[in-house]
Amino acid sequence: MYRGREGQWAFLLHRISGVALALYLLLHVIDISLVMYGPDGPFNAFLGFYHQWPFRIGLVAVMAGVVYHAFNGLRIIIMDFTGWGVKYQAVMWYGVLALTAIVGVPVLVKVIPEIIGRA
Amino acid sequence: MKVNVKIKRFNPEADKRPYWAEYSLEVRETDRVLDVINQIKWEMDGSLSYRRSCAHGICGSDAMLINGVNRLACKILVRDLGEVINIEPIRGLPVLKDLIVDMEPFFDSYKAVLPFFINEDPEPPTERYQSAEDREIFDASTKCILCACCTTSCPVFWTNGRYIGPAAIVNAHRFIFDSRDQGADERLQILNQSNGLWRCRTAYNCTEACPRDIPITKAIEEVKRELLWRRA
Repeated sequence: MYRGREGQWAFLLHRISGVALALYLLLHVIDISLVMYGPDGPFNAFLGFYHQWPFRIGLVAVMAGVVYHAFNGLRIIIMDFTGWGVKYQAVMWYGVLALTAIVGVPVLVKVIPEIIGRA
Repeated sequence: MKVNVKIKRFNPEADKRPYWAEYSLEVRETDRVLDVINQIKWEMDGSLSYRRSCAHGICGSDAMLINGVNRLACKILVRDLGEVINIEPIRGLPVLKDLIVDMEPFFDSYKAVLPFFINEDPEPPTERYQSAEDREIFDASTKCILCACCTTSCPVFWTNGRYIGPAAIVNAHRFIFDSRDQGADERLQILNQSNGLWRCRTAYNCTEACPRDIPITKAIEEVKRELLWRRA
């Protein structure tokens, strides 16, 4: 592994979260579209399938991915459109991680008990 | 001090794939990595192949991946690395032998951005005047030694060898922002192609790797904005 610094990890996480979200969105669109086959169609079966444990935990990962990708996207916009952004890219990345964690707190407090509670 | 040096070696005439060769030797902590591999070549294994020329950080011949980071072997001291030193050829360019890579794709990208002064006006009787402020704009970009530390540290370049790469963009920057030069439009058009400037994903490995401390990502972002505002 190349021993890059903040910028490399910011890029790698941005790419991983981006690809993961694109795949999630595709899956999401497919299973929501199944509702057009009516109440007796495959929609409810799929929804039941998604209530299994791995998908519940995956939902937390999806939220983390969305929040990180959004904040890091703002970091990239600042770097691309201002003259000073590049200079503070590392600091801004730590800010992105901190904001992601802060936004993650209500997710942990509110969502995880629901995920675990209604097994 | 005693160091353990691992070098990723490959001889296309004998080996199917690269392998790690290990050497254990006594060196001074003020030795440079170049001194260490010279010592290996001259005293232990004459078949080891690598490029070096000036040995003072100016010719740009001895760029290598040393302990996970691209550096010039002649600019890094043993004491800054410790007792374990891993050396690989720079990534993304075809390995010819041991630490020697084929630099031609790299130089092709460099040549593609027209890295020379373009001005069709008749030569003035005196100098082509440029203020100190105008010179300052592209000062850092003039320092490039074409060692390829930046381009071969770029994750985008590793996976897409046709990406023009940071070194070529820095050298384009050097002329695009030169107040005396008239070739900016042509260079920006070249950089606007699909494997050009926009492949940069700002991973900053280039900036960290540059042995000349050129703020490469900053230069690339300046060229991106120039292209954007000129087209807007």
